[in-house]
Amino acid sequence: MEQSELQDKIFAYLEKMKGKKKLKEKDIFKAIMAETGEDKATVKTALREMINVGRVMYSYGGGASSVEIPSEEYLKEKGLL
Amino acid sequence: MSGKHKTPMLDELEKGPFPSFITEIKKARNSSAMPEMADDELGQLEKSYNSKRGYWKHGGIVGVLGYGSGVIGRYSSLPDEYPGVAHFHTYRINQPSGFFYTSKALKEICDIWDKYGSGLTNMHGSTGDLVLLGTTTENLETLFAEYSSRGWDLGGSGSAMRTPSCCVGQARCEWAMIDTMDICNTVTQHFQDELHRPAYPYKIKNKISGCACDCVAAIARADISVIGTWKGDIQINQAEVKKYADSGMDIQSDVIDWCPTECMSFDGSSITIDNSQCNRCMHCITRMTKALKPGKERGASILVGSKAPIVVGSLLSWVIVPFMKMESPYEEYIELLENMIEWWDDNAKPRERIGELIEVKGMRPFLEAIGVDPQPQQVYEPRKDPFFFWSESDFA
Repeated sequence: MEQSELQDKIFAYLEKMKGKKKLKEKDIFKAIMAETGEDKATVKTALREMINVGRVMYSYGGGASSVEIPSEEYLKEKGLL
Repeated sequence: MSGKHKTPMLDELEKGPFPSFITEIKKARNSSAMPEMADDELGQLEKSYNSKRGYWKHGGIVGVLGYGSGVIGRYSSLPDEYPGVAHFHTYRINQPSGFFYTSKALKEICDIWDKYGSGLTNMHGSTGDLVLLGTTTENLETLFAEYSSRGWDLGGSGSAMRTPSCCVGQARCEWAMIDTMDICNTVTQHFQDELHRPAYPYKIKNKISGCACDCVAAIARADISVIGTWKGDIQINQAEVKKYADSGMDIQSDVIDWCPTECMSFDGSSITIDNSQCNRCMHCITRMTKALKPGKERGASILVGSKAPIVVGSLLSWVIVPFMKMESPYEEYIELLENMIEWWDDNAKPRERIGELIEVKGMRPFLEAIGVDPQPQQVYEPRKDPFFFWSESDFA
């Protein structure tokens, strides 16, 4: 599978889970590996690329970290939009 | 500048003989390019002292691109009243091993911080990092670019490997049994990804002390502690013992009676130690520095489990590996560290620390997973269960 296609699947999964569960990287790996059959290293590389460009970002709450889709407002503040 | 807020309660904290954080915040109003931050920080704090309520919110998506650690989002819940602290994010800089800086380096850090933040700092609190208090979201990327271009990286925060820290070690201390600074730097470099990308169930901390005096309080603060120790007999210089006695030192009450295992005796001119009973606490060595020295074979004990009482009660670390040689490049230690973290990462619930997980799962699966044999030194307290349960196959 092309990396961009894999990244779209990760993004779609994050959108689907928004507001339902704080997702850790491991949760995303498990879900996307099950959905696509790709190995962990491939999913991890795809996710990390998305994090590097700000398509998804790490979030923090209650002492623990998770991965989320950033809001438009935040991206504007960061100068990414 | 003088402040726009009246702060009679905070002003009280400037009286008395001790340095005052209020005085320092007031100074920051004059040094920072963003004086309204320190000013509104004082205003909000005065309000908190009056109302007995906190007005900080924290968390959310705040950080620099590619990193999930090092920046902790902090916001005022009263942004209209105190706009200067509407954003007041914390920025953690990975400190140099042993906290050694040149004055030039400190000036460089502070000059950048005065440009993009409140000017307030917290040098090496419990995290170990150099903590900068109070900047805005829009300044974060520029601040990061300025620091990283000069070699300063972000530290750890959130569910990540936290910035490893260590005592001054062999750089300044005669008791350091291991090169704490080199170990700390090696661990920091090895775990860069784990430090900056929070992928674990919760935080995990690693601190390294050169001896049992434990100047970084690793045994109480770090999930995984490395504490310098020795094998063999304490080296005794009886001539120096006699000099201490002749100079009026009460060796019996100041040294012998304080030995936790009662393994020492003093006959008026010389000391005898039953080294088989010594637990290497360092007390006698620190009291009689010229007469007593640690044994010649040096290494470290590896301890696991301490934490502060956030989710459940606090824990102190206990010994997992009584003695490990610590020689560069520390492959044995790094492998053990990776094994311990992997087991914890695979088994822990969210916000569960490694010490808590060992209490839940038991010592046996933990020791099996990390490839360490059960040993008497792993007993947490005398007459307490060492968490290890034998199976039939162990006796076969």
